[in-house]
Amino acid sequence: MVPSKETESMFHTEQQVGQYYTIPSAQLKKAFPNGLPRRFQMQIKTFNEACVMVRQPGLELISYLKRADYAKPALRYILFGEVGCGKTMSLCHTLHFCSTQGWLVLHVPDAHLWVKNCKELLPSSSRPTRLDQPIEASQWLKNFKITNEHFLSKQIKTTRRYIWTKRESTEEGRPLGEMVDHGMSRVKSSSDVVGALLRELRLQAGGATEDAFRLAVAVDGVNALWGKTSLKKEDKSPVSPDDLTLIHNLKKMLRNDWCGGAILTTLSQTGSLFKPRSAYLPTELLGEEGFDNMDPFVPIPVSNYSDKEFESCYLYYMDRNWLQHPHSRTEEGRKELLFLSSRNPSILERLCSFL
Amino acid sequence: MAASTFCFALSPLSKIKCNVNIIYTLNKRTAFSGGLSKIKGVEKQVAALPERSSQGPRRPRREAGEPRTERMSVDQDWTAVYPTAKSFKQNAVPLPVRMGYPVKRGVPPEKKGNLELIKIPNFLHLTPVSIKKHCEALKPFCTEWPNALDSDAKCEEHFPIQVQSKDFVSAGPSLRNPKARIITLTVKLSSLNLDDHARKKMIKLSGERYNKESDTLTITTESCPLRQQNYDYALYLLTVLYHESWKMEEWEKEKTRADMEEYVWEDSPSQKNILETLLRMHAVEKCEEDGGVQKELLGRPEVEEYKDSVTKLKNEGENECNIQQYKDAVKKLLNI
Repeated sequence: MVPSKETESMFHTEQQVGQYYTIPSAQLKKAFPNGLPRRFQMQIKTFNEACVMVRQPGLELISYLKRADYAKPALRYILFGEVGCGKTMSLCHTLHFCSTQGWLVLHVPDAHLWVKNCKELLPSSSRPTRLDQPIEASQWLKNFKITNEHFLSKQIKTTRRYIWTKRESTEEGRPLGEMVDHGMSRVKSSSDVVGALLRELRLQAGGATEDAFRLAVAVDGVNALWGKTSLKKEDKSPVSPDDLTLIHNLKKMLRNDWCGGAILTTLSQTGSLFKPRSAYLPTELLGEEGFDNMDPFVPIPVSNYSDKEFESCYLYYMDRNWLQHPHSRTEEGRKELLFLSSRNPSILERLCSFL
Repeated sequence: MAASTFCFALSPLSKIKCNVNIIYTLNKRTAFSGGLSKIKGVEKQVAALPERSSQGPRRPRREAGEPRTERMSVDQDWTAVYPTAKSFKQNAVPLPVRMGYPVKRGVPPEKKGNLELIKIPNFLHLTPVSIKKHCEALKPFCTEWPNALDSDAKCEEHFPIQVQSKDFVSAGPSLRNPKARIITLTVKLSSLNLDDHARKKMIKLSGERYNKESDTLTITTESCPLRQQNYDYALYLLTVLYHESWKMEEWEKEKTRADMEEYVWEDSPSQKNILETLLRMHAVEKCEEDGGVQKELLGRPEVEEYKDSVTKLKNEGENECNIQQYKDAVKKLLNI
C-alpha cells in the first residue's frame, strides 16, 4: 500500500482509508499553532513534513459535517476510544478540513491544561466568586489569533460595549481583533476577554449575511470540564471547574443553543485527573453531569489500526528510513511489531522510535 | 511384668550384702538374651536396678496369632468389623496401607505398628453399605415425601420461605454448641405480594441482605440464645418489613432523583435537552410554538428510541453495543 499524497481533505473518501496525506507547512503553522499531539510535532520536525493518515473516524466526522444543516442548532460529536488510538489526530484531521473550507476554528488543544498546574489564580474582576487564569487565557488568545487572523481583522465586529476595568473598554462595532489584542496585552483581563470573544462568536456564527462564517468549536479532553481540578484556593479549599472563568465560558459554548457550526470534542484519559487508566467510555470519563450536559451527542468510537492501516504505517516508516534496525525490515520483524504494539498507534510509534 | 518379678526376687536377697557388689558388676556386663546368672547356686535373675533395657519376660511370650485379615472373605459384612467409630486396627483392616514420611531411599512405613494411622480419624464405620443400613433403620420413623411436590419449582411456589439451621455433633464434655442457634431465612421477593413502591422500599430497608441477581432476601438471626427464639425473631422481621414497605410515609414524597434506584427518563436532564433541541430545530422551520407541540414531539418514534437507548445506557452501564444504539438513535433524531 503506497502512501498517497492527497492534500485536499475535501476529497477524502472511503477508498483512501489507510493512506497518508500531507498538510502543507504554511497551513500547518496557521491551523495548529499548538494543537497537535506532542509526539506528532516531533515527528514533523524529524521528517520535515506533516503526514496524517486518513482513517475511518475522521472520515465519518467529515461526512457528518458535510451533510449537516447549518441553520439548525449546532451538533455535538464526541470522539472516544482507548488511550493512544488516534482521537486527537482524527480531530486535527477534521479541523484541517474545516480550516480549508474557511471555517472559524476555535481550538482548545487540551482542556486538562486549564484545570491543573496553574501558576497564577487571580480572583476575577468581573465576578467576585470566580477565578481567572491569566497565563492560560493569554496563551490561548495568541494561538487563536494566529489561526484566525483574517476573520479577526476584517469581518467580525463586537455587538456591544465591553468594560474591562475602570479605564479600559472596547466600544461597540470595533473589530474583534482589537479585543483580542487588548486581551493579549492586558493579561489581567485576558480571561474576561476570552469570555466576551466566545459570546460574540456564538451570537454571530451562521448568520444569514454574506460574510457569515461557520464556527467549529473543538475541545480536546472535554471531560476535564466536568471532572475535578487539582487547583486550590488560597484557603486550601478545592476549586471546582465551575469556579474558573475560562471553563465556565467554554461550557456555555458547548451548549447547543447557537446555530451555524459544529462542536467537535474528544475524551481523553491521558491528562485527566482522578480517572483510572482503563476508562475510555463516555459515561466513565464524562461522569453523570457531563453526560447530561453533552446529551444529545453523536459518539464516534476510534479504535486501533486495522490490518490495512497498520501495513500503511509500517510502510511509511520504512519509506522514511525511520526503522533502522535490520531485523525490523523483515517479515518477522513486522510480525513482532504487530504483536508488541497490538495495533495501537501510539505504542507502535514509540516502539519504532527505538529502532 | 518383668519388673515385678525382679522386685520379688530381689527382696530376699537384699540382706545378702556381700553379693550386692558382684550383682552390680555382673549387671553391667551381662547381656539379656535369656541370661540367668548363677550366684551361689541360687538361680535368680539379674537384678532389676535402674537399667536401660528390659530383660526377656519371665512368662513365655505368646506369639501373635495370624491377623484377622487372613480369615476375611471378599464378600464379608464390613459393618460387622467396624460397626462404630473405632481407631484403626491394623490387623482388622485388610488394606495394604502405608503412611508416614518415607525412610531414606525407601517407602513410607507399613501399617503394622504405625502410629500415624491410629492418630488420624477414619471413616471405616461409614461405608455406603453401613449408611444404607442406617437409612433402613431410620425408615420406620420417617413419613413419605408428598407426591405433589415433585419439582423444585413447585416447592418454591408452595413454600417460598426457606429456613436453614445447623446442628453440631462432636465428642466433647458438652453436647451444646453455641453456633447451633443461628437461623438463616431466605425468601424470594417475587413470591411476596409487593407493588412497585413497596418493592423498592423493601429493598432499601433490607440493604445488604438483598441479593439483586437472585432476587432473594436473606435474614440471619443470631441475637437470641435459643434456636426457637431466633426463628420467631426472623419471622417477625420478615412480617415487619413486609408491612412497613406497604406503608407510605409523609416524608417519602420528598424523594429526589439522587434517591432513585434506576434511571427514569421522564423529567430528566436528558429529556429537557432533547426537547429544547427539537424545539429549536423546529423553531427554525416553522415559527410557532405550542404547549401541545411538546407532547407531539415526545410521542414521535425517534424520541421513543432515543429514550430507550438512554435508559439502557444509564441502567445497564456502558458497553460498545449500547453506545452504538445510542448513536443510531441520536442520528435519526437529529437527521444526520
